[in-house]
Amino acid sequence: MLEKIFDPDSVAVIGASRTIGKVGRAVLDNLINDYKGEIYPINPVADDILGLRCYPSILEVPQKVDLAVIVVPARFVPDMIDECGRAGVGNVVVISAGFKESGIEGARLERRCAEIAGEYGMRLVGPNCLGIIDPHSGLNASFAASMAKAGNIALMSQSGAICTATLDWADANGIGFSRFVSLGNKVDLSENDFLLDFEGDDKTSVIAAYLEGVKDGPRFMEIARQVSHTKPIIVVKSGRTAVGSRAVSSHTGTLAGSDEAYTAAFLQSGVIRADSIEDMLDYIRAFSNQPIPHGRRIAILTNAGGLGILTADACDMEGLSLASFDESTIQRLRDRLPPAANMYNPVDVLGDATAEMYGYALDVILEDPNVDGVILLTSPQAMTDVKSIADVVVGRSGYLDKPVLCSFVGGCRVREGIRILVDGQVPNYSFPERAVASMRALCNYNDIRNQTYPGSERFDVDERKASSLVKDAVVSSRRVLGLESIDILRSYGIPTVETATARTLKEAVDECEAMGYPVVMKILSPDISHKTDVGGVRLDLKNAGDVERAYHTMMSDVRRYMPDAMVTGVQVQKMLSGGREVIIGMNRDVQFGPLMMFGLGGTYVEILKDVSFAVAPLSRSDAKNMIQSIHTYPLLTGVRGEGSYDIDSIVDVVCRISQMVTDMPHILEFEINPLMVLPEGMGCVAMDLRLTLGEE
Amino acid sequence: MTSILISSSEKYSGKTSLCTGIGMILRDKGFSVGYMKPIGNLLLDVDGVLCDEDSEQIRKIFDLKDLSNRITPILLTENLINDALSDAKKDLNKTLLNAYSIISEGKDIILIEGAGGIGSGMMYDLSDPQIASILGTKILLITRYDSVFAVDRILCDIELLPDLDMLAGVILNEVDASQMEQVSEMVVPFLKKRGINVFGAIPQDSTLRSVTISEIVEDLRADVLAGADRLEGLVEHYLVGAMEVNSAIKYFRRMPNSVVITGGDRSDIQMAAIEARVRCLVLTGDLRPSEAVLGSAEEANIPIILVRSDTMSTIERMERLIGHARIKQSIQLDRMVELIKNNVDMDKLISVMDIDTA
Repeated sequence: MLEKIFDPDSVAVIGASRTIGKVGRAVLDNLINDYKGEIYPINPVADDILGLRCYPSILEVPQKVDLAVIVVPARFVPDMIDECGRAGVGNVVVISAGFKESGIEGARLERRCAEIAGEYGMRLVGPNCLGIIDPHSGLNASFAASMAKAGNIALMSQSGAICTATLDWADANGIGFSRFVSLGNKVDLSENDFLLDFEGDDKTSVIAAYLEGVKDGPRFMEIARQVSHTKPIIVVKSGRTAVGSRAVSSHTGTLAGSDEAYTAAFLQSGVIRADSIEDMLDYIRAFSNQPIPHGRRIAILTNAGGLGILTADACDMEGLSLASFDESTIQRLRDRLPPAANMYNPVDVLGDATAEMYGYALDVILEDPNVDGVILLTSPQAMTDVKSIADVVVGRSGYLDKPVLCSFVGGCRVREGIRILVDGQVPNYSFPERAVASMRALCNYNDIRNQTYPGSERFDVDERKASSLVKDAVVSSRRVLGLESIDILRSYGIPTVETATARTLKEAVDECEAMGYPVVMKILSPDISHKTDVGGVRLDLKNAGDVERAYHTMMSDVRRYMPDAMVTGVQVQKMLSGGREVIIGMNRDVQFGPLMMFGLGGTYVEILKDVSFAVAPLSRSDAKNMIQSIHTYPLLTGVRGEGSYDIDSIVDVVCRISQMVTDMPHILEFEINPLMVLPEGMGCVAMDLRLTLGEE
Repeated sequence: MTSILISSSEKYSGKTSLCTGIGMILRDKGFSVGYMKPIGNLLLDVDGVLCDEDSEQIRKIFDLKDLSNRITPILLTENLINDALSDAKKDLNKTLLNAYSIISEGKDIILIEGAGGIGSGMMYDLSDPQIASILGTKILLITRYDSVFAVDRILCDIELLPDLDMLAGVILNEVDASQMEQVSEMVVPFLKKRGINVFGAIPQDSTLRSVTISEIVEDLRADVLAGADRLEGLVEHYLVGAMEVNSAIKYFRRMPNSVVITGGDRSDIQMAAIEARVRCLVLTGDLRPSEAVLGSAEEANIPIILVRSDTMSTIERMERLIGHARIKQSIQLDRMVELIKNNVDMDKLISVMDIDTA
């Protein structure tokens, strides 16, 4: 679909200039250097620029133009886009700045650009971007200082500066690209469009992105799930912290979004997250020329014991395992390695190991069926022939079916060896931990490409009743609903504690008598969100006398601590014990929609922040993963001889809530706190509820 | 000709709004309605003449031809207080009666609005019951029903009257929906048993509490940075953006009819407010936001205004502004009239006032 953007037959540069130092000149220079198609400089005051015939307007160009690059000042851009539309140009790249990032007038211009492009059905990259590069077609429609080397990595970036830095780094490290996109303000084409484009591009085998936010979260997840089956997607998402997200907002006028949501969304859609640009570059080097391992069992080959141990530690911390060698492997190593060498993993070929020894050991290890990948370490010791060792690795790199990542550790004495590795397309990392992290990324991708994404289960629920309860609340402008709306849970088949609402003391006592003791009494007030803090919860009331005294003291406490709160009555419920309290929540994330939260109740949530997140709708396995990924999960499976709690019933409730919040988009926040989980086979019971509604 | 004095337990109970609403209904019924606010406490300089803000507003709404010093013959100035404290006798009764008799000419009914609470003005012998005695009129008591303890206030206020005959009755104002049932089932019968007429209970209404963004701009002397053409929107609450950005979004979403006050350097909070589609952003400390944020506000059609004062003093001003809003917008007037028609027994009120319908 975007083929004509990256491989156009002709390109016009609107705002082309002969003045060195101007963007219009840099873009033209870049095009002239490598591009083989027709180039049309557009400039109303020049006849020719750099030997090319110049046209006063794109409308004057006699041939059809596939791609127009616009570099004129922002205020002229909408008219230029309109002219492109009239001239039948297919796509435009707007490099010019001065749009939404620069204020109100810019925002208006940007909207205008999008509208005009839309009217003509043109696609637009930018505005406010560096441009695009396709080394395979020779197109450098950017003002980057150099052309990228051809390769198999497609990169898109929301920052032009990161584009140029990456290009320069790649140049120094022999890394090549298939496509290179500076996204700019993403007024039309965004990461989602380019993901799909990269998926379809034969020359691309790895996708990398630097993003400050995504434009359409649910669509991003959908596309990423599809694309990540065939090509790894590595993303750096910035604005993770409070200060970082403030910087994103100030820089781009967007919200960075909650990091929990991004982490969950990436995990649920097969995106490999890199924590820094350095990590991203590390990973893409591995992906660009190494095979994907079929498991997580790693062999370490080293000439230094210390490096081997560090690497083993790093593997364990990254969730990789050290391969246990087949007996024949150990025997074959013993045949040729010196007796003092370590034949077990990590294999230490000792400080005086020759390149030949390395080669022999590497071949033997790679042949072991219990090994999924190799990390090869070299320390430049007195006898070490670093260059020959590099040659040995490079010599094998063409026909490997398992990944080999190197870490030649040192400075001057390893420099030549590293150069040989770089030239031979073997990824080398300055320290072993970085090699391990990249190996982990490769291993994760093995899981991702085989990942299936089952749909969410549809429960038979009384949606009409729930939505009428919600609608009533919206109509009477009640935005925060609590216990009084517990029927919403019931209509979604979520087991709830037996409750009764009372507006007076007498009603409360009558209800408790009918229900049977012990009971819990809670204040009902739309204004009180933390009932316990204002004395609004009384537990374990055993008789009518308890209820009466609790009622009076509770009303008095609430009046004292929250004199302005409207109290509508109390709710009494059966007191339950012998269960574990968990919390299930949802917050509607700006980018991804309903973000579900799970955690153990009470202090575990508040103090340990031991919670997990996932973007709804959830499948049963998503729900299970969520529950299992909290650190205190063993408290649910039973510790110290205690039996397990009914985890299946939590999965069920999580899935039903996932369905509810997907069905009813005006639920902005939702929380069951606590959900009392009973011993296995006995189910669970929602004890309290709080939800916030938005405007329809 | 008859008249009624509209008094209240406390200030900000809605007297002016109710005066306006009742007056409009009476006028629609064909009565010729006059208005007085004997003591002006919200001073305003109109073309070199001191007058009262409420009076001026009502004068405009009802297109009254009376001079403002007749509508409000006495102004609550330092002089008035000093005279009172030093026992200087000024014949205020005469001033009052004079104005009243002039205003009364050709009117079927005069609505007389009290200043402040029912007991205000006692130091110069012009509390609401004293004025009612001087003018020989009855009192309609407006009480803001914030909790059941409003009943205490009503009973207490009535103790200030020389006798119960002076009380025409009570209107309970701004009753929360959740309290309506208790009010009608218990409070009203209780008051009736004590011989107190209750003409109605008016529910809380968000339109009436609201102010327009342009009023905020005016009050805060703010600069409008974005959305200058969207200043007529109504705002019900103010929220303070001083938390972490993800909490801010949740907080703002709960009350979308809000203005958010935050520092000009808090771009994350500003974007959260824009995302939550609040009505307006007030940035404090004279710190201009980033241009990108302005661009987004423009895109989302959300006004951003900038004030020089710090967040704390901006909050204080906003506190005074919202909830104590003077009804200025015609949409609010219409709403007030509708609320009175739906919740107040106007026929009974008319019969108690004993208007000469001949």
